[in-house]
Amino acid sequence: MTVAFAFLTGMTLVSALGVVLSRSVVHSALFMSGAFLGVAGFFVMLNVPVLAAFQVLIYVGAVTVVILFGIMFTQRPQVRRFRTIINRQIWPGFFAAAGVGAFLCYILATEGWGETGPGNGARSVAVLGRSLLGVDEGLEIFSLLFEAASVLLLVALVAAIAISRRKEGAGGGEAGR
Amino acid sequence: MQQLVEQLNAQIPLEGYLTVAAIMFAIGAWGALIRRNAVVVFMCVELMINAVNLTLVAFADFLPGAGGAGAGYAVLIIAIAAAEVAVGLAIVLAIFRTRRTVNIDEVDSLRG
Repeated sequence: MTVAFAFLTGMTLVSALGVVLSRSVVHSALFMSGAFLGVAGFFVMLNVPVLAAFQVLIYVGAVTVVILFGIMFTQRPQVRRFRTIINRQIWPGFFAAAGVGAFLCYILATEGWGETGPGNGARSVAVLGRSLLGVDEGLEIFSLLFEAASVLLLVALVAAIAISRRKEGAGGGEAGR
Repeated sequence: MQQLVEQLNAQIPLEGYLTVAAIMFAIGAWGALIRRNAVVVFMCVELMINAVNLTLVAFADFLPGAGGAGAGYAVLIIAIAAAEVAVGLAIVLAIFRTRRTVNIDEVDSLRG
């Protein structure tokens, strides 16, 4: 348990730092999938293997591929010195983010969470599916959220097509070639 | 030896997961603040969303009163994040097509 936790922590945080600090955008994307894999491991440790499967399928699979496509379309040959990828706010940004992180750690670690113990979650697929569809007592709101999420996915699909489609004679016609 | 094995098999407390998620959120926020490439800013936003997901799932597993709702919310967040990536990258592509750049310092038409 401890070994797995330490390994996953190192993998997740080092990959997250790699996303922020690596000079090549493609390396950032690959580091990002490493961080997602670490989080999937945490989901397994937290007794929700279904969510780990979703994580690997959607994030490590789909989102990484979509982002790699985005990089492929928008990449220009450029000098990749450290100065050029980072704007002037590196130290103010670092202190702001470190402040947020320290504040969050302090709050989350000192708050009394009462009786806590692992194993309260929905371990099996059936239980998670029932709670997602709002069948269970006290979780009826999920039926509404499920419908809203499906409408949102449809709208996002249409919006992505509508935004990225090249219009006739609307300028920049050679961009996609 | 026995003690060491016991120590290695010990359960991780809730605070361990929460701290990892908080640090991951802070790294994502740092990246979103300092990077110039819009695609990398998206990746950092994804990192922050993942950190929040980890917090939700940790709470769902550790708090008896949560009733496992956190895992359901995590599924919804994953769906919303996927939609956000699709629309966001479409916007980045549209901006690149008209402005020939994805550097967010140069896309400042709305600056007053």
